[in-house]
Amino acid sequence: MQHCTREELALAALSEPLTPDQDAHLASCGACSAEVGSLRRGVDTLTALPRPATAPAVLPPPAVWSAIAAATGVSATPRPEVLAASAAAGGAPGAPPPPAPTAAAPRPPADPPVDELALRRRARRRWLAAVAASLAVGIVVGASGAALVGRSDDAVTVAAAGLSPYGGSDASGEAVLRVRDDESRVLDVRLTVRPTGGDYFEVWLLDPASQRMIALGVLDGGQTALPVPDGVDTSVFRTVDVSREAVDGDPAHSAFSIARGEL
Amino acid sequence: MAVAHSVPLVAGNAVTGLPHPPEPDDGEVARRFAAGDERALAWAYERWGPQLYGLAVRALGAGPDAEDVLQQSFVSAWNGRAGYRPDAGPLPAWLVGICRHRIADAWVRRERQRRESDAALSSARLQPTGDVDAGLDTAVTDRVLVIAELERLGQPQRGILELAFFEDLTHAQIAERTGIPLGTVKSHIRRSLERLRSRLEVDGAALHS
Repeated sequence: MQHCTREELALAALSEPLTPDQDAHLASCGACSAEVGSLRRGVDTLTALPRPATAPAVLPPPAVWSAIAAATGVSATPRPEVLAASAAAGGAPGAPPPPAPTAAAPRPPADPPVDELALRRRARRRWLAAVAASLAVGIVVGASGAALVGRSDDAVTVAAAGLSPYGGSDASGEAVLRVRDDESRVLDVRLTVRPTGGDYFEVWLLDPASQRMIALGVLDGGQTALPVPDGVDTSVFRTVDVSREAVDGDPAHSAFSIARGEL
Repeated sequence: MAVAHSVPLVAGNAVTGLPHPPEPDDGEVARRFAAGDERALAWAYERWGPQLYGLAVRALGAGPDAEDVLQQSFVSAWNGRAGYRPDAGPLPAWLVGICRHRIADAWVRRERQRRESDAALSSARLQPTGDVDAGLDTAVTDRVLVIAELERLGQPQRGILELAFFEDLTHAQIAERTGIPLGTVKSHIRRSLERLRSRLEVDGAALHS
């Protein structure tokens, strides 16, 4: 049985069910289960964050608004009956607020109790609608970002970087990272200047921590779309670097960067 | 025959069910908030104050810390309203993001106080104080880092993670709900989790060293 894909391992970290074959492999494969384990820290932390869907709304004491009004100078006042109605509408029945920690031993909040799962199922539709609405906006923004560099396919923009002049050059531009439906990634790069004197420009992804680099390809004609190899983690290799290269047959970075930006 | 209204206000209110007076809908409140209309601050507080306070109470317990978080959230939102763009998402989601930051600040403050009181206790007992200079509690720093990284994720990744974690949807449900292709949802989830992992491993290690 072959290893699980990284997508499957991420879903496993979220406790989403896998196929029986994948489950069996995961149980017996040290590498795959270690990968799931390493993702769990983020998952557990996210799970422990307070979230609108499970934290019951609570009527704030009147002193809070007084302090807000004093700090902002705003004279309009919230209507008590509307405030109370919002608190009642957002409440999860039967879930009293947790007691305040004692002053002597303030502690970070405990992890959510198991019975919170039941509360999560009663997630409020309003917040769902709000998040879904913000997602739709995100997609529209992503599409316009892609349009910026003249692409019209339906790949989703996942990151963008403004490219600033580097090493005394006057080159600037932008890079947009997009994911296609088949999950392949492409980096659209546009630069304001063209190479001169027989040189050419090359695009790299740089890991600023280790200074390791991955060559993506040649920036031809001021604007180009370069495939990003699978397995390149763009949260690590997150700096887009454009170098000026001589036609000397040396595949290494020339050490003359002309523009950089962070994804 | 429909009567044309010059002011397109939504009659009634999903929260209160009150028929009078006509209430601006959430989008209108957001636009007026961004434009600096003082009434919009009061409307926003009426509608979302209890939910934000609920978040703070869940995170910090009922009391002065939670009240401070709520107050600071609305004051920073009002003072920073120029940074809110109605076309970039709903106002309540933006307010929740601000509130999470204030909660993270409060966690860090508490953790610092705890270490100081531990240190005072150790020195009173004339015990070695090896832990005093140690970094923040891991769970606290993890939460602070994750909250910061959530803000950095951008859309649609952040929204997808919020649906997965805060609404408990499976990736298939997220794809169905948002219309984003299944493979893309999976790929976003994978990348976001890997990004959180690097953030926790790299910055977490730095904070604890």
